Amino acid sequence: MTALLEVRNLTLDYATGRGSFRALEDVSLSVEAGEVLGLVGESGSGKTSLAMAVMGHLAGNARLTAGSIRLGGAELTALGPAAMRATLGRRIGMVFQNPSTSLNPTLTLGRQITEVLERHRGLSGREAWKEAVAWLERVELRHAEALMRRYPHEVSGGEKQRVVIATAFAPHPEIVLFDEPTTALDVITGARILELFHKLRAETGVAGLYISHDLGLVARVAENVAVMRGGRIVETGRATHLFAHPTHDYTRRLVDAVPRPHRRLVDDNPGSAELLRAEAIGVSYARRRLFRASPAGGGIDGVSFAIGEGEILGLVGESGSGKSTVARALTGLVRATGSLRLDGVPVTRMRHDYRRAVQIVFQHPDSSLNPRHRVRDILARPLRLYGGSLAQIPTLLRNVNLPADYASRWPHQLSGGEKQRVAIARAFAARPRLVICDEITASLDVSVQASTIELLLQLRRQHGTAYLFITHDLNLIRQIAHRLIVMREGRLVDRLDVKALGSGREHPYTRALMAASPLPVGEETGP
Amino acid sequence: MSLTWLSRRLLLMAYTMLVVAVLVFAITQVLPADAAVTLLGQNATPAALLALRQKLGLTDPTWLQFWHWLWSLLHGNFGTSMRTGLPVGPTMFAALSRSLLLAACSILLMLVIAVPLGVLAALRRGSALDVFASLVSYLGISVPEFVTATFVLVVLADRLGWLPATGYVPLSQHFADGVRHLIAPVLTISLVLIAHVARMMRSETIDVLASDYVRAAQLKGLLRRTVLVRHVLRNALLPVVTVVALDVGYLLGGIIVVEEIFAIPGIGRELLIAIQNRDLPSIQAGALIMAGTYAVANLLADIAYALLDPRLRYD
Repeated sequence: MTALLEVRNLTLDYATGRGSFRALEDVSLSVEAGEVLGLVGESGSGKTSLAMAVMGHLAGNARLTAGSIRLGGAELTALGPAAMRATLGRRIGMVFQNPSTSLNPTLTLGRQITEVLERHRGLSGREAWKEAVAWLERVELRHAEALMRRYPHEVSGGEKQRVVIATAFAPHPEIVLFDEPTTALDVITGARILELFHKLRAETGVAGLYISHDLGLVARVAENVAVMRGGRIVETGRATHLFAHPTHDYTRRLVDAVPRPHRRLVDDNPGSAELLRAEAIGVSYARRRLFRASPAGGGIDGVSFAIGEGEILGLVGESGSGKSTVARALTGLVRATGSLRLDGVPVTRMRHDYRRAVQIVFQHPDSSLNPRHRVRDILARPLRLYGGSLAQIPTLLRNVNLPADYASRWPHQLSGGEKQRVAIARAFAARPRLVICDEITASLDVSVQASTIELLLQLRRQHGTAYLFITHDLNLIRQIAHRLIVMREGRLVDRLDVKALGSGREHPYTRALMAASPLPVGEETGP
Repeated sequence: MSLTWLSRRLLLMAYTMLVVAVLVFAITQVLPADAAVTLLGQNATPAALLALRQKLGLTDPTWLQFWHWLWSLLHGNFGTSMRTGLPVGPTMFAALSRSLLLAACSILLMLVIAVPLGVLAALRRGSALDVFASLVSYLGISVPEFVTATFVLVVLADRLGWLPATGYVPLSQHFADGVRHLIAPVLTISLVLIAHVARMMRSETIDVLASDYVRAAQLKGLLRRTVLVRHVLRNALLPVVTVVALDVGYLLGGIIVVEEIFAIPGIGRELLIAIQNRDLPSIQAGALIMAGTYAVANLLADIAYALLDPRLRYD
């Protein structure tokens, strides 16, 4: 039996100013009809390059130096642009990572489906409309007729992704490429999209190439998995087998780095002394306008909690639930109502000593480190502000496992993980008692994430620092937090001991979040 | 775009016009011009001057004068020209219509040239066409219009003799001749506009071409033409609408120079004559009408933007 999609010995180079860069090296894989192949790897491993090569959509400086890509036995790399355009969308569909940017903001959702039907199935405008409505219903969107006339900004991220999926499936393709289709979505929304994926697969029997950095997710959707690293495929095998018994060293490291909720990384219990208490914190983003005030989302209301000395408190919730607003309120970045107590003393104004005691690390080190400052200058400011000495810079860097000579580097010379370490070092330069970690591992690869967490725990052992750890990753937070608070739509809906998770006493929303979290790979039983 | 938004926008426009009226009136008050002297000449007797001042209401307190002026404005009466003795309003609006014809032709020519030029330059980045478009843009932006005008005159009218040098012929009177008289000033004005808009169009198109949704459209296997027209062009045009509205402001200023050079009796030229003759009612009316034109142009741009971009909801 010949494979539906067959990539053989593919090598891809990019010509750059400094010579040529090899993005793919001798890559071979095949997808049978009706099969789903998972393609996993960290950022820069070449997964997206591979997908774009299959779609014949490469940058001008890309050169396919060797190999072949066959679809149903026919060579794709030999097709001219017109023949390729007739294949794309028709025989190969694609679902993109971010539905908010992959839909045209000025066209109705309906138009973005009908244009594909008109192009590839030769339907008239009226027929295409009816067929598009049918497809919207098939991807379980309610009020399909009304949705056809809506614009992307008028619907939710999950609804947009369903429209994108309908667009990919509507011309009856033989294979659909999925490029991290749930990464930009909330945990619960992403889980529903996966259910839809399973349903459509069962109905249409379409083959798939599912690209993701999330091993747990790939294990759920794919029969076979290929692991990529540095432009090569290092291991291929059945998903169930490969993750349970990885043979390649890199795969083993990847599997090990995946957070496992039952493998606790913190085994001590914090003392009973209370460090910070937040009482009825509220933030309103309502815009004041000339004629009337308009209510706006993203605010928080009546949020109360306490963090003990040396405690790790997890704050979980979906995007838009107000998690980051809590962080901004605690650090004085937004004006908030309510009251704060540090060591039982009311914080009336955010004075020097409060700001020193409560530090924050942001999600994106790219935007939180000044690109025009060297690492030395980035660390020097908190040292000067809070009475440290510049001679501590090498120690600070060593403490976050960076070489001392990194002091003279610029942020752009560092990798994502290294930048986040500098940001952590900056927070610790103030000798804080509480560090707020706002999704600090969300933009990092899984292996880098694991080492960053390890670093935070090591620093906590050294300094006894408490953490408010904000994340949407329940598996991760269950490994490290003592207690959890759960937010939804600007309010605290649940607060519980991590040990109580799974006992049935949680808030229904917490349970829904748990159910939506992918099981870690290589583990037979979940929560 | 809701009705409340529109009515609020109109209210705001009326308010703006009131502020402009106050400013225009205040400025003309401090001008060293005495209407009575202008009318009767330097040799009039003091008694005659006083009598005329009383008759014109010039001895009234300033606020009362302003009130009278505003009241008649609201009734469509802009006053009487002290130079010609004719009502100012009809003269100015006739001049405005000639200027608007000039502006409309220039904007039309600009759109026809600048939009395709910008898009093609973006599609073929680094090509000879792109370099040419950049050159035209830099020239248009850096060379003042009186230089361009002179150049156009010397080449097209003097050397080649294709066009009449100056003057204005109403299209209703003699269409072909009217068009011939419009060509040189329109070319001059549109060069600057083309410069602005082609550059804007180029950079917007480059941004849109790099967007996820254009890549998605290409990967859906759509025809090149469909991707370009349906997905790229519409999104790239959005910011250009704003630029064109801002350019109306430039047009009103730049048009004075161009009208003067080509001897076109438009609003700019009329205003210039009024200032030279210290013809207060004409100055006031001219300034006010120009401000009003600008306000209307901006309103139209806002409406156009709202129609093009569904994400904007004025409410």
